[in-house]
Amino acid sequence: MRYDIKLKIEYRYEYPAAQSRHIIRMMPAELEHEQRFIAGNITCTPQADEWASRKDFFDNNCIEAAFKKNHQNIVFSLKARVERFLPHEISNRVFPLSELPTALSSIRTLDARSPLHFCASSIRAPIENGTRSFARDLVTDDMSLIDVVSTIGNAIFQEFKYDPKATTVETPMLEAFNGRHGVCQDFGHIMISCLRGIGIPAGYVSGFLRTRAQEGKPRLEGADAMHAWVCIWCGAENGWVEYDPTNGFFVGQDHIVIARGRDYFDVAPVKGITRTSGGHKTKQSVDVIPID
Amino acid sequence: MPPISSSKKNDVWRNVLKDYTLHDGIQDELIDESGEIRPVWRSFVQTISGVSLDDWKIRIARGQQYLRDAGVYYRDNSTQGTTEREWPLSPVPLLISEQEWHQISVGLKQRANILEQVIGDLYGENTLVRDGFLPGQLIAKNPEWLRPLVGVEPRSGKFLNFLAFDIGRGPDGKWWVLGDRTQAPSGAAFALENRLATTRIFSDLYSPSHVHRLAGFFKEFRDALLALRGGDGSRIGILTPGPLNDTYFEHAYIARYLGFMLLEGEDMTMRDGKLMVRTVDGPKPISVLWRRMDAHWADPLELEETSQLGTAGLLNAVRSQNVTIINALGSGVLETRALLAFLPRIAREWARDPLIMPNIATWWCGQKAERDFVKTNAYKMTIGDAYATKFLFDTDDISLKANKSKDQANQSLDDWIDDNGETLVGQEAVRLSTTPALDNGKIVPRPMSLRVFLARIGDHWSVMSGGFARIGNSSETTALAMQNGGSAADVWIVSDKPVNAETMLQTPSAPFVRHQPGILPSRAADNLFWLGRYTERTEHLIRLVRAYHVRMAEADAQNTQLLEYVHDHATYLGIANVEKQFPLAIRTTIHSAMNAANRVSDRFSMDGSRALVDLAKTIDQMSLTAVPGNDMVRAMSVLLRKLSGFSGLIHDNMTRFMGWRFLSIGRSLERAVTTNNLVSKFSNPDAPFGGLDFAIEVADCAMTHRRRYELSTNRSTMIDLLVLDPLNPRSVVYQLKELESLAASLPGSDENHQLTPLQSTLIRTQAGIAVETPDKLDETMFATLNNQLSQFSNDLTSTYLR
Repeated sequence: MRYDIKLKIEYRYEYPAAQSRHIIRMMPAELEHEQRFIAGNITCTPQADEWASRKDFFDNNCIEAAFKKNHQNIVFSLKARVERFLPHEISNRVFPLSELPTALSSIRTLDARSPLHFCASSIRAPIENGTRSFARDLVTDDMSLIDVVSTIGNAIFQEFKYDPKATTVETPMLEAFNGRHGVCQDFGHIMISCLRGIGIPAGYVSGFLRTRAQEGKPRLEGADAMHAWVCIWCGAENGWVEYDPTNGFFVGQDHIVIARGRDYFDVAPVKGITRTSGGHKTKQSVDVIPID
Repeated sequence: MPPISSSKKNDVWRNVLKDYTLHDGIQDELIDESGEIRPVWRSFVQTISGVSLDDWKIRIARGQQYLRDAGVYYRDNSTQGTTEREWPLSPVPLLISEQEWHQISVGLKQRANILEQVIGDLYGENTLVRDGFLPGQLIAKNPEWLRPLVGVEPRSGKFLNFLAFDIGRGPDGKWWVLGDRTQAPSGAAFALENRLATTRIFSDLYSPSHVHRLAGFFKEFRDALLALRGGDGSRIGILTPGPLNDTYFEHAYIARYLGFMLLEGEDMTMRDGKLMVRTVDGPKPISVLWRRMDAHWADPLELEETSQLGTAGLLNAVRSQNVTIINALGSGVLETRALLAFLPRIAREWARDPLIMPNIATWWCGQKAERDFVKTNAYKMTIGDAYATKFLFDTDDISLKANKSKDQANQSLDDWIDDNGETLVGQEAVRLSTTPALDNGKIVPRPMSLRVFLARIGDHWSVMSGGFARIGNSSETTALAMQNGGSAADVWIVSDKPVNAETMLQTPSAPFVRHQPGILPSRAADNLFWLGRYTERTEHLIRLVRAYHVRMAEADAQNTQLLEYVHDHATYLGIANVEKQFPLAIRTTIHSAMNAANRVSDRFSMDGSRALVDLAKTIDQMSLTAVPGNDMVRAMSVLLRKLSGFSGLIHDNMTRFMGWRFLSIGRSLERAVTTNNLVSKFSNPDAPFGGLDFAIEVADCAMTHRRRYELSTNRSTMIDLLVLDPLNPRSVVYQLKELESLAASLPGSDENHQLTPLQSTLIRTQAGIAVETPDKLDETMFATLNNQLSQFSNDLTSTYLR
C-alpha cells in the first residue's frame, strides 16, 4: 500500500524569539521488509540558518535546524510518499515470559534494535507499581508472549477512554494511567510501562495512521493526527512486533513509521530550545492519502 | 594493639602518641607492623612532640584564618536547605614517601590508560559487550551511557583528560582503588587550599621536609589544555553549573588560577556547528571546554530537556569535532560501581595488561553465581546501587553489613537481592588504614581514604604529587563522608632530598603563565555592570541614612519637617521606616552586589572578594544591633569606610580593560541617576528648610560647597555643584562625561570618531543640561534626564549584555 503524506507543524511564539534550535523527526523511515521510503522532503519558513540531517542512535532520520534572526513563528512541512508492506507473520509458538531473562542476558549487542535498550524505566515511560500490577493481574504463566501483549494492549483499548481533552503532551504517564484516559501518546506510554514492568522490552513508535474514509463519504482532509503505538520484543524468533493500544490491534499496513525510541522523548517530531521570554503555541495538521 | 616499640620512642614521643591506640587487623600510616614509627614520619613526629596544646590552638587558628580569608567553606546540602560550614581541615597532613608514591602513580597511570580504552570501546565498537566481558544490560540500563554520543570520536582522540581515583590501604598493606572519578572530578582546588592552610599550620616544618609541590601539576595541565586548542587562538573555558553548585568555589578558583574564562551554559551559543562564547564584542570561538558539570545538564536539546544550565546544540559541536570537552561527555559511565566487578578481567584478558593496583572486590548481582555469593556473604559486605556513580561513602543507598536493608523490613535479605538483582552490587566491606588526626588536643588514629588526581599530558598521565585525604571522625571506617563529620587533610609526598623549587606554589591570584588577551563574556559584563550599580547604590543609601540620623539625633522642631521630607524620599528609594531600624534595603542591595560579584569572582582579586564578604557580614551584623540615632550614624560611617575599602581595591587593582569599563559604567550611571533624583527632590520649591544642605551632604559635597561659594546654600549653588559642575566627581555632568569616555572605548566604537548610537545618546543628554543655568533646571528637566539615563541603560544592555 502506497501513501502520500503531508504534515505541517507550526510554532507560534508569544514574543519574538531571538534564537532557536530544533531537532526535527518528521521524515518517515526506510525499513527493510516493512516500509519503503519513496520520496519526501521537509521545508520550513522562515528559512533556517542552519540545516543538517543525520541519523540518531535509534537510526531515525533527524534534522537539526537553527534560526538566528528574530522570529515569531516557524512552520515545518513534510511531503512524502511511502510504501508500506504487510508485517511479518507472527508466530504464536508458546514462548513463556519466564524464558525472557535468559534470552535477554544472552544478547551481546547494543545496536539500535537491541532489546536491551527497551527494558529499563525511561523518562516518559517509567516503570511504576500501578502499571506493573495492572499487567500482572492480566497475565498467566501459560500465556505466550504474543498473548500477553495482546491481552495487555486490548485491556488498555477497552478500559481507557480516548479523550483528547483529558491530557496534554506534557501529562505524566502515571496521571493518564490513574485517570484511565488519554490519547495515543498516553496509551503508548502506559502499555510500555506495563510491559517493561513485567520484564518485556517495549518501545515507542511515532508515525501516521491512515484513517479510512467512511462508507459513501469523501475522506476528510486534515482530519488525521500524528499517531503513536508500541513495539515489543517477543523473543528471538518473533523479534519485534508492533501493537496499537489506541485501536486494540497488531499493526498492519495502515501504520506508517517515522521513528522508534524508548518513549516520546526519543522521537518527538519537533524539539526545540528557544531564547524567548514568553510561551508558545503549536498547531499540527496531517494528511495520509492512500494512492493505490 | 601492637605496642609501640619501646626502644624506638623516647619520652617525648611517648607523650605525644600516648593516645595513639591502633586498631586490630588494620594498617596504620604512622606506625608499622613492628610498632615503629615509619621513617617518613619521624621528623614530623619529632616536631609535633614539642607542640603544646596552646601552640596547637594557635597553629590551627592560623590555618582556619587562612581558609576563612580565602573563602573556603564546606557547603552542606541537606533537606533543611543549604548551609555553609567552616572547612573541616584536619591539621595533621598524611605523609607518604616518594618511593611509595611512585608505585601508586604507576598503578593509577595504568588504570587510567585501561579506562581510556574501555570508554573508547563503549562509545565505539562495543567489543566488550560482544565478547562477553561486560553484560549488555549494565550498559544499556546505565543512565550515564549517553546514546547521542555513541559513535562520536572525540576531537582530540581521547575521552579522558582529567581523572581522580579514590584509593585506600587495605589490611594487607596494599593500596586498593575504591572508586573511579571520570565525569568531572572535584577536589583538586581543595587540595591546593588544604596545602596552603596546612603550610600555615606547620610553617616551621614544611620547607625543611622536602615535600613535593603541587603547582607544577597544574602548570603542566594548563599547557596541555592550551595545546589542545589547535593553534588557532581560540579560547578555553571552564564550564560551571553556577554559584548554586556545591563546588562552585573550586570552579571559580581553578578559572582564576589557570587564567581561563569561567562560563555558564547561557554564556555560549552555537554557530554553524562551532561553539562560541557570547562576548561584549560578539561571539568568539571556544575550542576547549573543561566542564565541571555532569553531562546530563550540558545540552537540553539532546540530553536532559529540563536543563537550564546547558547550551543547546553543544552535542552538535562535539559531533562535528569542533570542541574538545574534558572529560568527554559520557565518560561518567566509567564511574558505575558495578564496573569494578568486571574491570580486573577486562584488564587481564581484554586489554592484556593486568591491573597493577587492584580495585575493591565487587560482585554484580545481575549474574546468578555472583548473586548467590553475595547472598551467602552478605554479612561481610556493603550492598548498594549497581549504577551508582557516587563515592562509596557518600551515598545513603547502601545497606551496610546487609542486616539493615532499607525499607525492606518485611522482606528477607535474600528475596530483596533476588528481586533487585541487576540493580545491586555487593562489595567487600572496606577496612581502611588509619592515619594521625587531632582530637581534642590528642593525636589519635582515624580511618583515611585518599583522592589522587591525574592529568593527561599528550599521551601520558601526570599524577599530582599530593591529593585530598578524607579523614573519618571516629574509628568507624565507614564514616568518611564529610556530611557525617569527616574532615579533609593535606597529603605530603616526602622526598629524601630537596625538591625542585621551580614548582613553588604561587599565590592563587597570580596565574603563573601568560594570559590570553582578555575577552569578556556578555554575562560577566552584565554582572560587573550591576556590581558597579549596586555598590554605588549602597553607598548612596548609606549616606542618606547617615544624614537622616544625624538630624534625627539633633531632633529639634525645625528638623521635624525635613525629617518627614527625607522619610518620604527614603521610602521612594525602598527604605521603609528609616527612623526605626537598620534599613533592609541596604542589606538586600549589598547582597545583590554579592550575587553579581560571585558570578564574576574569577575576574577580580581575592582581596576584593574578601573586602566585599567582610562588608556584607558587617551589614548583616549591624542590621541586628544598630539602634536609631547616633549609633546608626556610627554604624553607617563604619560601613562607608568598608565600602570605600572595597571600591578602592577594585578600582585600583583592576586592569583598565573591558571588565573594568562595564563596572565603571555601572558606577557612573548609578551615581548620575541617584544624584539627579536627589537634586530633583531637594531643589523642589516645596522642600523644607535644610533640604539643600541635606542633599549636599548626601552627595558628599559639603566641603567643596563651602570652599567654592563662600555664601550660604541656595538652590542655584546646590544645582550648580551637584549637576552642572564639570570638575566635581559627584556631579551629574561629570558622570555623563565619564560615561561618554567609557562608551568610546567599548567594542564597536570607531577610531575615526564616528559615534555609536550609545555615544550619541550620551552626548545629547549631556548637552541638554550642560548648556543650562541652574535656574533653568526644573523638575521636568530632571525627569527628562532620568528617562534618558534609563534609555541609556536599556541600549547598553541590548547592545552588549545579551
